[in-house]
Amino acid sequence: MKKIILTFAATLLFGFAMAQNAKIPENITLKTLDGKTVESSIIQNDGKPIIISFWATWCKPCNRELNAIKEVYDEWREETGVKLVAISIDDARSASRVKPHVDGNEWEYEVYLDQNQEFKRAMNVINVPHTFLINGKGEIVWQHTSYVDGSEEELFELVRKLANGEEI
Amino acid sequence: MIKQRSNLRTPFVLCVAILACFSTPTFAQGILGGHVTGNIQLDGQISRRDTIIGSNDVPEKLLTNARADILYTNGDFSAGLRYEAYLNPMLGFNNQYKGQGIANYFVSYKTQDFAITAGHYYEQFGNGLTLRAYEDRYLGLDNALFGLNVMYRPWKGVTFKGLIGRQRVYWGMGEGIVRGLDGELNLNEIVKPWEESRTRITLGGSFVSKYEDDETILSEISGYKLNLPKNIGAGSVRLDLSHGGFGLQAEYALKGQDPNIMNNYIYRTGQALWLSASYSQKGLSANIQAKRVDNMGFKSVRSQTGEMLYINYIPAITKQHTYAFLSMYPYATQSAGEMGLQGDFMYKFKKETLLGGKYGTDLHINASLIRGLDSTIVGGRGTEGYTSTFFGTGDLYYGDLSIELAKKLSNKLKLTTTYGYVAFNPIVEGHAGDIHHNHVVIGDLTWKINKKNVIRFEAEWMGSDSHYDADIDDKRCGDWIMGLVEYNFTSAWFVSLSDQYAYHDGIGNYYNISVGYTKGATRLQLGYGKQREGIICIGGVCRQVPASNGLTFSLTTSF
Repeated sequence: MKKIILTFAATLLFGFAMAQNAKIPENITLKTLDGKTVESSIIQNDGKPIIISFWATWCKPCNRELNAIKEVYDEWREETGVKLVAISIDDARSASRVKPHVDGNEWEYEVYLDQNQEFKRAMNVINVPHTFLINGKGEIVWQHTSYVDGSEEELFELVRKLANGEEI
Repeated sequence: MIKQRSNLRTPFVLCVAILACFSTPTFAQGILGGHVTGNIQLDGQISRRDTIIGSNDVPEKLLTNARADILYTNGDFSAGLRYEAYLNPMLGFNNQYKGQGIANYFVSYKTQDFAITAGHYYEQFGNGLTLRAYEDRYLGLDNALFGLNVMYRPWKGVTFKGLIGRQRVYWGMGEGIVRGLDGELNLNEIVKPWEESRTRITLGGSFVSKYEDDETILSEISGYKLNLPKNIGAGSVRLDLSHGGFGLQAEYALKGQDPNIMNNYIYRTGQALWLSASYSQKGLSANIQAKRVDNMGFKSVRSQTGEMLYINYIPAITKQHTYAFLSMYPYATQSAGEMGLQGDFMYKFKKETLLGGKYGTDLHINASLIRGLDSTIVGGRGTEGYTSTFFGTGDLYYGDLSIELAKKLSNKLKLTTTYGYVAFNPIVEGHAGDIHHNHVVIGDLTWKINKKNVIRFEAEWMGSDSHYDADIDDKRCGDWIMGLVEYNFTSAWFVSLSDQYAYHDGIGNYYNISVGYTKGATRLQLGYGKQREGIICIGGVCRQVPASNGLTFSLTTSF
């Protein structure tokens, strides 16, 4: 058993030693709101920053966050070219309500369904909301769980830095 | 019939070896291609006895659940393992979780057109009516399949999946073998002229079968041993159609004769129908769902009771309420039989209109009605069991209505008011009694003092026709009030104080104070107070949680 643990620890350490920012996994299956199957590699933004937000229709803070960003989304896009990709983790109970929910709330985001929670697991999301910031190279440079009114401004400060080519 | 975890070690060694093999060449080549990511969670509680809320003594004093997921990714290859520890399981988690070890491990190779996973995996066919292997860490639910899972896309728009495996149950593995096939066709991708059509059509079908060895179950009347089927199949067809703002989704599933402990070993076949229709445009949406479920509980071990070893998943179509009093009586799907209807409506009153005011107003209405089947009993064990009419309905199980108005009052104030009505038949939780009728009123006010300081107030009232009765001991009965204040300093710190109090016809006073700190993807939360006995529902599954009284803590982090 000791050997196993050592091997594993070495593998892990090696992984950390390579420490560079992890990229978004590419081959995870997602669904569009009109039923098409796509791969997570579809999440692209021409070298500009991307916000990935994991949410669910029943999650109140998620809805507050996405509604708050909606108010300023046009300004954000204009200034930094950022794109928000909203990943719904709703399961069969509420997945069919995602499209009505998105339209009803007038969200202009790119939305995908992750019913089997494959992407959620691959991104190590425990609770929603969980927000990631992705740089132009597709690397995860920042993440945060939970939302409080006003914290979208902290997020935008970081997006602005990224767009200006600064490190965060 | 549960095999113990004695043979877990060999595959674990294999997994580590493969993991190591795949990372070494990368190292040798000096290519920085691989990544290790993961997440860790630690929860604990110290609970004391409280006779009024009904919490029992905990001899261990401290109960903890912990888990760590480690994921290694290198291009198309990934491997992962999960450590779990329940020392001892927290209140509400099954005692069979007691212990620690590697609970889940897999290796996977995935390209755009082909994927193969060996080890533990999660999967869902269609809406899950025939197969859904999933986990919910907060409910202590994990029916991961252990075996092989393959996906293949021969042409654009055509997806096939095939799998075989056995299901996890606590620290062991269910005896039954599960095999499944699923196919999905996206017509817009297959038929060239339809590529740009506004009408999008996806068709799918699945077949799942389980094998389980014979055992001795006797008929109640004749005393003869039942002739149990060893192979049981279930199949379904589904449709997903949309045209602009219109959407229609449907799935119909059938299951062969499946005598099991949940249906008292009757030989009736099972079926389930689920329909969803919606219309939406900017600022307006409506959705209606209907379902009929008849003897559709499908487990990989016929003698297993409780929430583990389900092969399929029948979603509850009722809305997942999140306010405390609206979710006090949550609805759990009755896979033995039910008929349900659910409607959802959203509308945005535009800015500068009478109801919209300066910032606009959101209206959200939801209603649902669930009834039992109109069934006639025709026999016991070893017979058809019962017959039912397709459109007939039986007893009321659950009904609800909620009307929510959300309004921004100024740049600093946001108010949400909700009225809700819930009718609940305790038969859904397995005990007889009168139907409870509850009215709920909720006010939720967020005050953004400035950029860094936010306070949220929540007040709830629930009036009920139920009275607390010591014989039945349902501690949710009676009339209740609740208050909550939550103070946030940026997104980093929060403190919340809440109290639920039965002021009439009920018992109990549930006070709670919580403090939390979040930095990036790390969150630490401490709570002190009394936790209500009841059902906790996350992600559509509900489970009983006992009362607890004392300290709780939770630490989560992702990296």
